[in-house]
Amino acid sequence: MAILQKSSEDRILLDNVSRFYGEVLGVNRVTLSIPPGITGLVGPNGSGKTTLMNLITGLVRPSRGRISVLGVDPSQPQRLFRFVGYSTQFDAFPKGLAGSQFIYSFLRVSGYPAAECRKLTDRAIAQVGLTEAADRKVAAYSKGMRQRIRLAQAIAHDPRVLVLDEPLNGLDPLVRSETIALFKRYADEGRHVVVSSHVLHEVDMISDQVVLMSGGYVVAEGRIRGVRSEIQEERPMQFLIRCRQPSRLASRVFEQDHVVEARLLPEGEGVLIKTRDADRFCRALNHLALDGIDIEGVTPADDNVHSVYEYLIGTEEAAP
Amino acid sequence: MIRLWCIQVLAIVRLEMKKTFLSRRGLWVYLLAFAPLLLFLGHSISAGHRRDQLQRIATERPIPREAFRDIRSGMTRAEVTQKLGEPYLQWGGHRRDGHCGQYHARYTDGKTDLRLFFDDDKLVGIHRSELDSLAQVARIFAGVFQSYYLRLAVFFGCVGIFVNLFRGEMLDKSLHFYLLTPTRREVLLAGKYAAGLLATVVIFTSSTALQWLALLWQFDYTTVAGFLSADGWGQFSSYLAVTALACVGYGSVFLAIGLLFRNPIIPTAAVLLWEGINPFLPAALKKISMIYYLQSLCPVDAASDQDVPGLVHLLIAPVQPATRSVAVLSILLLTGVVLVVAARLSRRMEINYSTE
Repeated sequence: MAILQKSSEDRILLDNVSRFYGEVLGVNRVTLSIPPGITGLVGPNGSGKTTLMNLITGLVRPSRGRISVLGVDPSQPQRLFRFVGYSTQFDAFPKGLAGSQFIYSFLRVSGYPAAECRKLTDRAIAQVGLTEAADRKVAAYSKGMRQRIRLAQAIAHDPRVLVLDEPLNGLDPLVRSETIALFKRYADEGRHVVVSSHVLHEVDMISDQVVLMSGGYVVAEGRIRGVRSEIQEERPMQFLIRCRQPSRLASRVFEQDHVVEARLLPEGEGVLIKTRDADRFCRALNHLALDGIDIEGVTPADDNVHSVYEYLIGTEEAAP
Repeated sequence: MIRLWCIQVLAIVRLEMKKTFLSRRGLWVYLLAFAPLLLFLGHSISAGHRRDQLQRIATERPIPREAFRDIRSGMTRAEVTQKLGEPYLQWGGHRRDGHCGQYHARYTDGKTDLRLFFDDDKLVGIHRSELDSLAQVARIFAGVFQSYYLRLAVFFGCVGIFVNLFRGEMLDKSLHFYLLTPTRREVLLAGKYAAGLLATVVIFTSSTALQWLALLWQFDYTTVAGFLSADGWGQFSSYLAVTALACVGYGSVFLAIGLLFRNPIIPTAAVLLWEGINPFLPAALKKISMIYYLQSLCPVDAASDQDVPGLVHLLIAPVQPATRSVAVLSILLLTGVVLVVAARLSRRMEINYSTE
């Protein structure tokens, strides 16, 4: 009993949770036990990631089932948000506030003393690299800056559980790597970081474990390396390469043993490459660029990961 | 714990201030609140100008007030001129056959403007126009206050401010920031209500005070001082209190509507209808409304003004008004019940912007 209690106080638990919006399914029969560390929620748009995060943070209530976040019911915001921070995807802010005012005001609403609020505001804004823009109105921020100020609001009170809905959207590469470093630091300190994304590759880079969602159901969960190698072994990753010499590129990449298919697209649109090792493929591509092949763009064709879900769902359905 | 709630309520009020006082969406609330002020100011300027003009004429052409009483229909122009002297204003003409045609003459003693209409040299019409007394002005104010200000201006002002406290933020997709703080939903509701109340009370009571001042402005200092020391301050403070209580009562209703209904227009129209048909309801049903108690608290019986049109007379005359203490307690009780229900329902509030 004591072990069970210890477990619930250390984990985010969802027990057979369902949420319906009228007749529309949000999530269905989700049972999860999320330990400390970075957990990636992955799935295409509409798969139920945001609903799951809203359920964990009490912004919506489950139609069925029970949720506990480190032993606290999300229907008690006065307790929950003492240790939970949530950066949503909603790109709207209270009107007329500067970045620092925005963070400060909601810390005051949380009940912190004024001096403490100023200190926490400065620290959070520094952590997301917005110190210079802190006194500018949020309405004048770029998309990336708005993403960062939302993150600052989520981390301002130094939460033990950080829930982040598509937190890397719109960030430039430098800020993206700094943000990922921040998540990793939180995870190293034994906190929970739940990150959603529809880009499998992104979650792959940062997550310790992954929850794959499709159509409101959890279709797979586990350590990311295991899931990824399984996917890559049986389902190669696809990349769409746009370049001026598609035939030359196709013949060069096909020399690589991990490339299983190189298909020229009609009307010189580019080459579709399938590889069993994305890391080695990306390194090889860099060499080809240095050798003079003019590469205009590289797009992971699995970005929407439909193929991965199809594979996973197909596997589950096929299983006895 | 209570200290924490107070801090949170104050922080919410501070955040809401700009939205409630200065939002572009709420500019029409100021128009509603201050429209009667413009009306009264215009009336006061015009009445003051007329008062000065008549008193100046009366000084130049003094006529004893009693002389006006001797003027009767059928008198000739010569007889009238003999009693009152030359008019300060006259106009008219002769017929082609040489007889006197229509002729108009105006006299004043400084307080009454007497208009005389002659036809064929005979006095056929007498029209006395008295300058407004303070008692008349107080009745005019009472009529406008009860028929327009309470029923429309404060009512719709509270709709504009209180409904938007939750519904506006749902539409702006920014309500979730409050729900992501360790704040009880009841405390959030209290903070929002306090913010709305502060805004409406400041806007509408200041308008009430300014309307009052605008109406008194046409009178000289001695008249105003005499009125205030008699009953004026009592009336003034009663109007301010009734305005504030209207904001308290209607505010709670429209806060709850903004919280519970995706489309607040229909429930708002229902409340407007209910408050509007109040004069036609049976006595028991009358008491389940804000306007009945608010009108009971108004210090001047506006219905005693005989110039008031029939329909307006019906709207401003509560049958068997409640006593002052019953009226205040009833408004506070209704407000309390509505807020408690809203607070309980706020616990089930969800963020689902996609359906808004």
